[in-house]
Amino acid sequence: MEIQTLSQPTLSSHLRALSALIRKDWKQYWRYPLNAVSSVFQPLIWIAPIYFMGLAFSVNGKAIGFSQYSGTTDFMSFILLGTVLENFINAVFWGMGYALKNDMDSGVMESNWLTPIPRLLILVGHSVTNLLVTMITSAGMLLFGGLLFGFHASGDVFRAFIPIIPMMLGLYGFGFAFAAVVMLLREANALVDMSSFLVQIFSGSNFPVNALPKFLLPIALALPLTYGLDAIRHYLIKTQTIVSIQLELLLLVIFMFVMLWIGITTFRSLEKRVRTLGTLGQH
Amino acid sequence: MNVNSLAVPGFSSDVRAFWAVVRREWTVFVRYPSWIVSLLIWPIIFPMGYLLTARALSGVDGSGLTTFQNTTGLTDYVGYIAVGTMIWMWQNIVLWSVGYSLRNEQMRGTLESNWLSPTWRFSYLLGSSVPQMVSMITLLVVSGLEYALFFGVKFNGSILLTILVILASIPAVYGLGFAFASIVITMKEANAFVFLVRGIVMIFCGITYPMAMLPAWMQATAQWLPQTYIIHAVRTASLSTEGFAGISHDLSMILFFGVIWLAIGYVLFVVMERRARKTGAIGQY
Repeated sequence: MEIQTLSQPTLSSHLRALSALIRKDWKQYWRYPLNAVSSVFQPLIWIAPIYFMGLAFSVNGKAIGFSQYSGTTDFMSFILLGTVLENFINAVFWGMGYALKNDMDSGVMESNWLTPIPRLLILVGHSVTNLLVTMITSAGMLLFGGLLFGFHASGDVFRAFIPIIPMMLGLYGFGFAFAAVVMLLREANALVDMSSFLVQIFSGSNFPVNALPKFLLPIALALPLTYGLDAIRHYLIKTQTIVSIQLELLLLVIFMFVMLWIGITTFRSLEKRVRTLGTLGQH
Repeated sequence: MNVNSLAVPGFSSDVRAFWAVVRREWTVFVRYPSWIVSLLIWPIIFPMGYLLTARALSGVDGSGLTTFQNTTGLTDYVGYIAVGTMIWMWQNIVLWSVGYSLRNEQMRGTLESNWLSPTWRFSYLLGSSVPQMVSMITLLVVSGLEYALFFGVKFNGSILLTILVILASIPAVYGLGFAFASIVITMKEANAFVFLVRGIVMIFCGITYPMAMLPAWMQATAQWLPQTYIIHAVRTASLSTEGFAGISHDLSMILFFGVIWLAIGYVLFVVMERRARKTGAIGQY
């Protein structure tokens, strides 16, 4: 009988490695179940002040002022959806870099790196559990958020996947580049906290970006995520889009190819540098 | 010559131990100057999310803002939200830093050896709070300046009354931090508890809206949280011209809760210390 081991890399050995990574992360996450509870309720806590604040701006629960920017008076569905999408963005955008940092801190990074597995596969493996967990916690969040604040998706759920797919693939490109920067700097928490908060603000997760002051609007329009969130909301809750929906989809597809190329190139070049410097095992 | 060493416990040795903790924490604090960037940026970006949402809710023609003014009786939401979020940031940072001070010591592996020294153990917590207070007072001053500069907030009230409210709030804010530190040292990983407590403050204490927007049961609950009075008093003192009369009730409640929370913090610390000695949990992490 011929035994196929990981030391003879094949597609099936890669898949086995991917599965091992996913199972390891899955086990580790559910070992601390309070984290899952926190993932469901923490975003709801963040948006609760917006809910009560929004009531003060509304008549009979309808935010007329808000509809002038977004095309919907249902501000809570708009915000709740933005928060759920932001969770997915964070899972890929920053999640892979954080996972590498955890590997560094727990001292397994160097040994993982010595295995005959493509490095990018290790990053993708780390993101899969993140995405699965985000799907579960986001479902819980929508359920509780819907009960507490109300959530009404009147649009086409399946068509919403048209912008989701290029947006998420493009985010993988960014995630690769960010993971490489973490590998090089070894400490990026403060930077990530501030950057993710700013990206969240400027991509319009909590409000339509055309409400931004004119001098800040170019920042929002320069972020591909802005178009992704806008297009998904358009399909799900029928909001008006910043530019035509066809143009938004085209921009997302271009973003996907450009970001994947930039991400992979950056990762390969920085990884080579880290190996040359010999700092892979340091943290 | 009679040398008084730490091995002969007395008031002056406790003061020396306290001062040693203050100096150590200060040295660690200034060794990592990246906090300066956070100190400058967070006061702007944290309220910005809420302010821009309020701007969107106001509408292009300001119709939403008219509704807000009719509902709440407030004319300026910018200063209102900025002050509310500033106090929330203060309490949040205290929970993470003071609340985790003993835990960090435990993670570094120095808690057990410190615990064995013949000093007043509460001085570890008190000592680590002093540099934190200095940075927080700087944060509050920087926040005030940035709100005036970038958001155009008009602080029409009295600076002296605002300082008075902030000083009076220290026992309540830090008392909660002390209570938390004791819980964290017992529970070890207590991030979820920090999220819960800061979430309660965020929702119940009206950081972005008047209390009247809350259902009756939530308003009743908010009366038991000192942060409700702190936020209201700082808003009244800094933004309005009501003077001392406008904050006198809040001040008395803040001081009352300050005494209560300091007592809770101290009692929890003593209980935790006894429990930890019995179970041997001090050195575990």
